[in-house]
Amino acid sequence: MTLYVGVALVAAAVVLFILQPVVKGIHASLERDDDELTETEARKRVALLALRDVEYDFLSGKLDEQDYRSLKSELTAEALAALEADDASRADHGSDQEIEAEIARLRTGLKVGARCLSCGYTNAHGSRFCSACGHALTDAVAG
Amino acid sequence: MTILGEFALWISLPVAVWGVVLGFAGGRSQRGDLVLSAERSIYAVFGLLVIACLGVGAAFLGDRFEYWYIANYSNTNLELFYKVTGLWAGQRGSLLFWAVLVALFGVITVITNRNKNREFMPYVAGVLQTILLFFIVVLLFADVNPFERLAFTPADGRGLNPQLQNYWMTIHPPTLYLGFTAFTIPFAFAVAALLNGRLDARWIQLTRRWILTSWLFLSVGIVFGMRWAYEELGWGGYWFWDPVENASLLPWLTATAFLHSIQIQENRGMLKVWNMSLVLLTFLLTIFATFLTRSGLIESVHSFAQELKIAYIFLSFMGAVLALSVVLILYRLPELRSENQIESFVSRESAFLFNNLLLLGAAFSVMWGTMFPLISEGFTGQEISVGPPFFEKVNFPIGLVLLALVGIGPVIAWRRATKRNLQKNFTIPVTVGAVTGIVLFALGARHELSLVTWSISAFVLTIIGTEFWKGTRSRARIEGEGYALAFFHLITRNRRRWGGYTVHVGFVLMVIGFAGAGYNMDSRFNVEPGDIVEVESPFGHTYELTYEGLSMSIGRGERNLLWQAIATVSVRQDGVPKGVLTTEKRQYTNRDTQPMTEVGIRSIIQEDLYLILSAMNDTGGALRNDPGAQGIDLQVLIKPLVNWIWIGCLFIALGTVIALWPSVDRTRLAREKAVGSTESAAAGAD
Repeated sequence: MTLYVGVALVAAAVVLFILQPVVKGIHASLERDDDELTETEARKRVALLALRDVEYDFLSGKLDEQDYRSLKSELTAEALAALEADDASRADHGSDQEIEAEIARLRTGLKVGARCLSCGYTNAHGSRFCSACGHALTDAVAG
Repeated sequence: MTILGEFALWISLPVAVWGVVLGFAGGRSQRGDLVLSAERSIYAVFGLLVIACLGVGAAFLGDRFEYWYIANYSNTNLELFYKVTGLWAGQRGSLLFWAVLVALFGVITVITNRNKNREFMPYVAGVLQTILLFFIVVLLFADVNPFERLAFTPADGRGLNPQLQNYWMTIHPPTLYLGFTAFTIPFAFAVAALLNGRLDARWIQLTRRWILTSWLFLSVGIVFGMRWAYEELGWGGYWFWDPVENASLLPWLTATAFLHSIQIQENRGMLKVWNMSLVLLTFLLTIFATFLTRSGLIESVHSFAQELKIAYIFLSFMGAVLALSVVLILYRLPELRSENQIESFVSRESAFLFNNLLLLGAAFSVMWGTMFPLISEGFTGQEISVGPPFFEKVNFPIGLVLLALVGIGPVIAWRRATKRNLQKNFTIPVTVGAVTGIVLFALGARHELSLVTWSISAFVLTIIGTEFWKGTRSRARIEGEGYALAFFHLITRNRRRWGGYTVHVGFVLMVIGFAGAGYNMDSRFNVEPGDIVEVESPFGHTYELTYEGLSMSIGRGERNLLWQAIATVSVRQDGVPKGVLTTEKRQYTNRDTQPMTEVGIRSIIQEDLYLILSAMNDTGGALRNDPGAQGIDLQVLIKPLVNWIWIGCLFIALGTVIALWPSVDRTRLAREKAVGSTESAAAGAD
């Protein structure tokens, strides 16, 4: 007898427990989190981590100067693209217009910046000499 | 309690069905109340299955031999410890234990995700309940109900197989099961990602820890099994390419492949389909492993007919999972396109890819070798056994290339490695490897495979050692820290990288240990008390073994022992006394088993001295305590480097724990890091 009472109690408890949300209309959230990285943020993060890895490989002596520079300029371009995509995706977030404009200008400079004919390093827009090898940069190679 | 347990198992059936329906329906209709109910049903199933397990436990402790399971796996005299662990001693209890572990991980998942990843949870709950439902259906309807009653109540049970009465055997299966069942969670998230279409790297981030946890338990569980075989089976080996061992190795291989290939997806946005397939495949293989080990299909091919029902249920389930996986991946194929392509064959990406192909190749060969006898018997009626030579022939070369990749991977450049990059990083390690080989050869080592293995191991250890050294040095220099502190910070700041390297060190140590088997020594002596035998170790020292005599104890029925014969041998190493070793024969009262052998092992860091009492000259005489009947066959094994296998496993466990250890606040840290690198990236490019 005690056994059947026990079984009935367990069964009743289970039924109550799982039916309660449906009967009483208790809802679990199905929204994605606010603080979760968005797709573009995730990409940005990956690009920046790749840059960090190259820095690390160079500092710990696994990459030599030349490989480091060519990989780095490539990754920098990718990271900038990712940054831009991320910014574009939340363009509606209000922020300081002037600073944003300045950053945008710098980034464009970096992106379309002068590529050194001698070593392939991408310099900031408007540079006159390559900051990597010192080779003179002419307007012809900019962009 | 036992009857309550049985009822609980029955009640869990409709609850699981409810959870499946509401989970998927809630996900489709986006109704939070249905989802909450589905999540609660996981708690409920867990609770019910725990009651069922307690029911089985109570039956063991109460010697309730009217239950088939208890009658077959216990008896009155069984030690309490083995009664408590009886739950996973046999197939029926194991399946219940398996289900309760899946439910436990399900509960942990639901709790930890109650405020995050909500868009995944409806399907995660649905998938988890589907798997639970499968196990509950098997338990109730496939003739494997642990609560099945016999038509009569036997006076005593048949007792536990003596080979299973070993402490390793009590922790090895649960560890392995934890590994298998933990993989259910990544599978559930992968399916949820396929269903809700969120196929970016998010589901990988969500499941990485679960996969590492599962991998940790699998690795440790497999090594526990090896240790058990080494100590208990009494022939000095730890791996025999037995179907049951292979079954546990398969998901380990694919999970290892996955842990490596996700790094390419994270870094380069490639291999999305591949990674998804690996998760689904690994899960399938964990079910396959249960199927192989717990359906009785392989252990004896002839039991197939008796176990037909469970085999069919398992096969249908695996077929359904496979079909659904393929359909889902095909359906999402356009969204799983690669963002990049491999640029050069000589790059870290292709090293990772190669690693994956090798691991999958190994998995395939193991699968084929395991299944071939069965397939062959099915078609031709002839039983062909595939022995260790096949597995070794295929897997040793694969293993060696993998070993080399462990060294190459970390230092080869991403995207494309130039000749200078290769020269810079490989000159010293290759030299160290070659010199190691030459020195060992000069010292007299002639076993080719072992020599090659040790040379490659030296190459890999040099690379990993250099990595640790360079990392510590540059950190010490840049941050102005002492070396110990710099080393500590180095590891804590990038746990994934350095944890991974630590695992690699463990793997290399294990391989070094495996290669020691090339120098195993095996000699057999027939000795009388007082006889002295000498055995020379490959390391040059000599063991002097004095057989002191045999002592018999006639069983008092305690611990189910009929009799026990203990041979005592005193050991001297190069003339220095090193104590006494014993090795035994035991005859148990229950089961019609041959006498069991207990071996005597003396471990030093470089080798084990392993004594086996292989036979007694006159068992009957010895039992009568006849003084002339003390002669025995003593087998003396020397197992060089075998301890490095266990030490390597410790490193693997340590490394995995390092990689798993939670950071203070991961999201916050990630953001800060992202900001920090932006600045440094901008500064560096200027």
